[in-house]
Amino acid sequence: MKPRSLLDMTAPCREDFEIPFHEIGDPAKPLSLALVAGIHGNELNGVFILSRLADYLHGVAAQRYPGVKLHHRVLIVPAVNVLGLNLRMRLWPFDKTDINRMFPGFDLGETTQRIAAAVLKATREAFYRIDFHSSNLEIEEMPHLRIYDASEGERARAESFGLTILENPIDAVLTVSLIHAWKQYSGENFVLRGGNAGELQLEHCERLFHALLQFLHSVKILSGGNPPSIEEETHQFGAGQNFRLISDQAGFFVSKLKVGHWVQAGDLLGVLYDGYKGTVREEIRAPKNGLLLGLRRQPLVFQGDLVARLLIRNRS
Amino acid sequence: MVKIKTENVIALELPYRERMVLQKTVIQGGNGPKAAIVSGIHGDELEGLYVCHQLIRCIEELSSRHPGALRGCVEFYPAMNPLGLDTLQRLVPPYETDLNRNFPGDPEGIFPERIAAAAMQNLAGSAMVIDVHASNIYLREIPQVRINQEFSQALIPLARNMNLDVIWVHGAMTVLEATIAHSLNSRGVPCLVVEMGVGMRITPRFCDQVVTGILHAWREIGVLAPEVEIPPLTHVPLVADDTNVHYLNADTSGLFVPTVEHWTSVKQGEILGKIVSPYQGAVLSEVRSPISGILFTLREYPLVYEGSLMARLMEVKS
Repeated sequence: MKPRSLLDMTAPCREDFEIPFHEIGDPAKPLSLALVAGIHGNELNGVFILSRLADYLHGVAAQRYPGVKLHHRVLIVPAVNVLGLNLRMRLWPFDKTDINRMFPGFDLGETTQRIAAAVLKATREAFYRIDFHSSNLEIEEMPHLRIYDASEGERARAESFGLTILENPIDAVLTVSLIHAWKQYSGENFVLRGGNAGELQLEHCERLFHALLQFLHSVKILSGGNPPSIEEETHQFGAGQNFRLISDQAGFFVSKLKVGHWVQAGDLLGVLYDGYKGTVREEIRAPKNGLLLGLRRQPLVFQGDLVARLLIRNRS
Repeated sequence: MVKIKTENVIALELPYRERMVLQKTVIQGGNGPKAAIVSGIHGDELEGLYVCHQLIRCIEELSSRHPGALRGCVEFYPAMNPLGLDTLQRLVPPYETDLNRNFPGDPEGIFPERIAAAAMQNLAGSAMVIDVHASNIYLREIPQVRINQEFSQALIPLARNMNLDVIWVHGAMTVLEATIAHSLNSRGVPCLVVEMGVGMRITPRFCDQVVTGILHAWREIGVLAPEVEIPPLTHVPLVADDTNVHYLNADTSGLFVPTVEHWTSVKQGEILGKIVSPYQGAVLSEVRSPISGILFTLREYPLVYEGSLMARLMEVKS
C-alpha cells in the first residue's frame, strides 16, 4: 500500500515527490506522539532509528509481539528532507535553504516554507513531540536529550529516556526551528541527538532506540513485553555547563577517544599535527573535568575550529 | 593626496599551509567622520565588489581635483567572505554556514564568529556602514535599501537621498538578529542594507546608480566636503512595507518564463509570465499579477519548484 504523505509536490524535471509518514495505532484516538527526523538530509541516525521503530510498532499493532500493546496513536516521519537524504545533503538541495530555519512555515510560501508548514500541521496536535538530529559532518556527539525552556512536565519526563540531559544548550532557541514552533502548542517537546552527520552509527542508534522504547513504556504508549531498562549513570546539565574547546591553531587533528566518557583536566583529547611537516603542533588537553559530549572527527582543523565539547559539572 | 592603504582585518590559518585573510582598503582624508562599505558577505554576490572599486576610483578622482574633498575616512571591506568568493560559494566554506547569521561574532569563537567579531571591532565608531548585497542567484532586485522597523527613524532619513528606487521597511517578525546590520544598529552604528541586481553577476548601471547615492550620503554626513561636485541624484525611492508588498509564488514546478520587464508598472490580472514544462508543449500555469503595482523583484533563474518566488510587486502608496 502506498504510504500516506505530508505533502505531494511536483518537481521541474523529475518525478513528483512526497514526504511519506507512518501513522500507527487506533485512528479514532487522539495523536499522542509525533516523531520527526531527517530535517537535515545528511543526518542518518534519526532516519534509521525511526524507520526501525516504525517497523517495530507496525509489528506491535499487528500483534506480532506477544504481550506488547500499543495504546495510543503515533505518527512517524523518518525523513522530512527526502531529496536531501537521497543526495546526501543537509540542506534542501534546490535552493540550499535549511528547513529547520523555515518554521512555522507558510503553506502558500516558498517550497521549504510549505514543507515546514506541512510538518508542523501534522505534528502539532500530538502531546509528545520528538525531533531527531545528529551533529554536523565534523563533530561526533554522544547520544543525549535536549530540552529548551522546559516546563516542569518536560523536565520530569526527560528523565524517562535514561539519557544525559542538556537543557538550553544555546543562549536562545532559534525562533525559526521546529522545536520552537512546537513549543507554541501545549504538550511536551524534546530533541534527541547522537552521532554525526553523514554516517550511520549503530551503537548510537541502539542507545537512542532503547531510550525511545523506555520513554514509550514510561508514558504508557506501549505496555507489556520486557521493557528495556538501561543501567547507565545519567546526568543533567544546564546552559552554563556546555564548554566549547576551540583550536587556536590549524592542522590535522586526530583522537583515539570515544565520546560519552568522563575526562579529567589535563587528559589528552587529541593531537594537532602540521599537515605539511608532520610535526606535532599541539597536544590538545582537557582544560577541565567533564563529560565528553562531542569530539571532532573531521581531521582538517581551521584556526578557530571546534575540537571538542565538554559538559562541566558545577564547581568541577 | 589622500592616503590609500590595504590592511589585514584578521588572518586565520587553514589546515594546510594557507591562510584566510580578510582585508580592508582605508582612505584617510581629514579628521572627519568614518564611513564604511561592506560587501561579499555571501560569496555568490558580486555587485558590491564592483561598487567598492567604483567608489575607490571616485574618491581618488575627487581628491585629485579637490585635495580637501575627503574630510573623513572611508573604509572598504569588499570581500567579507574571501573563501566563498574565491570558490563561488554563498556560504563560508567548508562550514555551510551563512556568515551573515554569525554576528556579532566572538573573537575566541569558531571560524565564522571570529571573522564577524573582527569586522564588528573594525567597524565600531563608523558614522555610517552600508552592507551591499546582490540578492541571490535566483532573483533580480531593483536597487533598494532594506531597513528594520526598529531602526527606521534613524535610517530612513539617511536612505532617502541615496539614489535608490525602493526603501523597504521590514516588520520585526522578518528581522534576523544575527546579521551584521542588526548587530551594528543595535550598537548604535547606523547600517543600511542595500540590495540590487542578481547573484554571480554585476549590473554596472545599478552599481553606478548606487555609487552616486553613496557619494551623496557621504557628503550629507560630512565624510565628503559640502562643496564637492558629484553627479546629481536620478532616482527617488518609493516606500515599501509589509502592507504593500505582494509575493508571487509558483503554483507548480517547471520553467518560469517572464513576459514583462523588471521594474515595470503592471495592472491587476496582467500576465507576467508562464510556467512551462520541458516535456510538453502546453503551458502549465499563467502567472498573473494579483494587484496593480510595480514589479520590483523578478525571477532570474528559470527553474521553479512549487512555492518558488517568481516576483514581488509593490502597490504604490499615495
